[in-house]
Amino acid sequence: MTGAGWSCVEAAAGLLGAHEREVVLGDLAESDGAAWRGLKDVLGLATRRHLELWTSWRPWAASFGLALPASLFLMGCSVVVSGEFDGLFRGTVTAAPLGFSLSKILLLICWAWIAGFAVGAISRRTLWASALTCCSPCLFCLSEWPGSWISALRLFLFLAPALWGVVAGRRKARLGLGWAIFLASTAMLVPPMLDKGGWYGLGLLWPGWFLVATARRELT
Amino acid sequence: MLGEFEYLILSAAANLGDEAYGAAMRAAIETTAGRACSLGALYTTLDRLEAKGLVETWMGEPTQQRGGRARRMVRVTGEGSRAAREFYDAVTRMSRGTAWADSRGHFPGDAA
Repeated sequence: MTGAGWSCVEAAAGLLGAHEREVVLGDLAESDGAAWRGLKDVLGLATRRHLELWTSWRPWAASFGLALPASLFLMGCSVVVSGEFDGLFRGTVTAAPLGFSLSKILLLICWAWIAGFAVGAISRRTLWASALTCCSPCLFCLSEWPGSWISALRLFLFLAPALWGVVAGRRKARLGLGWAIFLASTAMLVPPMLDKGGWYGLGLLWPGWFLVATARRELT
Repeated sequence: MLGEFEYLILSAAANLGDEAYGAAMRAAIETTAGRACSLGALYTTLDRLEAKGLVETWMGEPTQQRGGRARRMVRVTGEGSRAAREFYDAVTRMSRGTAWADSRGHFPGDAA
């Protein structure tokens, strides 16, 4: 099997894990069948492997238990924080409100990072689904936003720390226990401090305590 | 109780012995049993059989014929052999005395 057809098969095999890719491409090279059949084989196996992932609770929790509700919650928090900035720039800046506003910004960054970390750690191989469930409400809110697209950017202040968290979660999957407790405790301040979410916000505290439950315990 | 496809995989692996791996088992199933066998069905079923302890698999040596890629070798365990035997015995017992076609090659249920 050579040429463009084989290149397509090799590209599709990128959807498989490293060991399985090696085995499947070897099997196809040995059987020397038609490229379309090879492609069908690879795509069929990749689809089955992906569907298997959804038999676990993890992708459901990451996508529909966290990415979807957290994106709505964090957009609200982002608007609150950007409103704080507006207030600071319009009025006379004094030390007390500046500190209060900065602490809200830090809380937003912390909460977004925790949510991103949990999504990345809980289900690495279905990140695309979590990204979709996060983007859907974002795009909807963007389409309904009354101002210009530049002012709509205030909806997405959470994105950068959340993406940072996702990258860290994919790499490490587990935090040290001390860090996990610190972040989970800090995240508990987000709903009252940002006056957002109420019970909804409280219901979104589980990623922080999930990180505590799965944190690395140092051996003594 | 095994499924029909699981039984075919166990039989192919047992017949191929030390040469049991994906491509060879697929060829055996397609030529001998006369049924199409996708690599997706083959490898996901192999994983299931391995999880049940009915086969063992490991990565073999790369060969030139496969473009320098390794094979996933398969061996039927004792438990796998017992499960296959039970399936075969059950099908044989159930089939005893059952005539699927008469002497002229007509199948019961077909329109005359």
